[in-house]
Amino acid sequence: MVKIKYVKRPELENRERIFFIDFIKGMKVTLKNLFRKTVTTYYPFEKLTPPKRFRGTHAHRVKDGTEPPSFKVIEKFMDIKDGESRCVACYMCQQACPVPELFKIEAIQTEDGRKRVVRFDMNLLNCMYCGLCTEACPVDCLIMTDIYETAAYHRGSCVTHMEDMAERAVDFDRRRKDEPDRIWIDDKERSKLWGQIKWS
Amino acid sequence: MELVGTVVVLVIKSVIFILGMFLGAAYLTLLERKFAGHVQQRPGPLHVGPHGFLQPIADALKVLTKEDLVPDNVDKVLFYLASLMAFVPAIMILAVVPFGDPFTIFGVEIKPYITDINVGLLLALAFGSISIYGVIFAGWASNSKYPMIGGLRKAAVLIGYEVALGFALVGPIMMAGSFSLREIVEAQQNIWFIIPNILAFVVVIFCVLAETGRTPFDVQEAEAELVGGYVTEYTGMKFGLFPLAEWYIATFVLSAITVILFFGGWNPIPFLGWLPIPAFVWFFLKVFLLFMFFLWVHWTLPRYRVDQITELAWKVMLPLALANIFIVAIWIIIFG
Repeated sequence: MVKIKYVKRPELENRERIFFIDFIKGMKVTLKNLFRKTVTTYYPFEKLTPPKRFRGTHAHRVKDGTEPPSFKVIEKFMDIKDGESRCVACYMCQQACPVPELFKIEAIQTEDGRKRVVRFDMNLLNCMYCGLCTEACPVDCLIMTDIYETAAYHRGSCVTHMEDMAERAVDFDRRRKDEPDRIWIDDKERSKLWGQIKWS
Repeated sequence: MELVGTVVVLVIKSVIFILGMFLGAAYLTLLERKFAGHVQQRPGPLHVGPHGFLQPIADALKVLTKEDLVPDNVDKVLFYLASLMAFVPAIMILAVVPFGDPFTIFGVEIKPYITDINVGLLLALAFGSISIYGVIFAGWASNSKYPMIGGLRKAAVLIGYEVALGFALVGPIMMAGSFSLREIVEAQQNIWFIIPNILAFVVVIFCVLAETGRTPFDVQEAEAELVGGYVTEYTGMKFGLFPLAEWYIATFVLSAITVILFFGGWNPIPFLGWLPIPAFVWFFLKVFLLFMFFLWVHWTLPRYRVDQITELAWKVMLPLALANIFIVAIWIIIFG
């Protein structure tokens, strides 16, 4: 049996009743806050940098010689030039995705018998940014970047294509490839706001 | 001829007072928003003009150009009357508020008040109470359940605090021996009336908060439970008049009256009388500090329930006001 302990709400003391002690305590808190620094980020003018592991808009890493061995073994079967998306159209991302109609991937056979990916569209309106597709990618192609401004004026603009994704990954790697992989980064703005974060 | 001169002077003075109060109220909104922001560690309005200084003008333009909707089944007369009813009496209290002693400039004697009648305080109280009817009418006329509840709540609270307020003002009146606000100030040249009337001051603070519907006692609009309270069905400038009247003009004017009653009006702060500061600066400084105190309370405390306010008014504030009368009577017997 669960024992239930009844606790009486403490009555106010006369001292508290007469001199509004709680009232003064509350006023003290607001006065203290009044002179504190504001914590607002002036959003369109200044933006916080998310951590590197942030799950933002998707991107495709390009073929630039840093591929994992899994890509190296099938490289000769693929018709991919340097600087193009290294996607091999294995459909693992589509398999992993919990949303049925999110990916549209098409690949064709070129005349010399190699495989070429001609279409890799993601409808980000349906995406819940769970990151399962990036975990499924065997060639370290599909990644998630730190871009979080995904609003657009038309639904069509929310569908992201292979070329855009390649560009995005190049940009992301240029900015953050060498950054140590931490849950939170030592952002200058962030440390200004909340102080230095201690890493375990 | 003399009559025409008086009328012209009064009209000019009234226009100055009303325009000044309008502009003042507009900038009081900015003050409140800045204060509220910083209390919650955000900066408040920031982008319209330097540090949001032109924000009130932008707000005014926005509110004035908004579409003015009137719902179908409202009581049209009361619906239109209510916003004026809240606003006009609140600004009419200014007629009896003196801002300083008469002074002479370029050989012309200027009285910095519109009128000094011998029942000024009663008139101020009456206008303050009429202003509340705007809220109750708005609740009734809106033909909607939330405004109705808001209006009824205000009516319930009104009965509670008006009695206590009336009794609380007896103390200063007894000590000054006059209802005229100017004479009450002149009676405080040696000692402010706050000294024996501290209980009455507490009661008056309570009543001003309840009358202007500021937060511990803002049951009539209670945005968390009543959507918008009595202003739910209002739009545009008709909506804008209510907060302007209640939160800014009424609070400011009632602060002025509280300063006159308890803090010596335009008399300088004790031991600082040698400073070369004109009387009305002292007055506005005190009113400003009291207004900031109301803001401070507003942005600190949570909301009381209606029954709690009524209980507080009848069981605590009314006895306190009566006790204050007793104390003041004894004070007068002892010190003359």
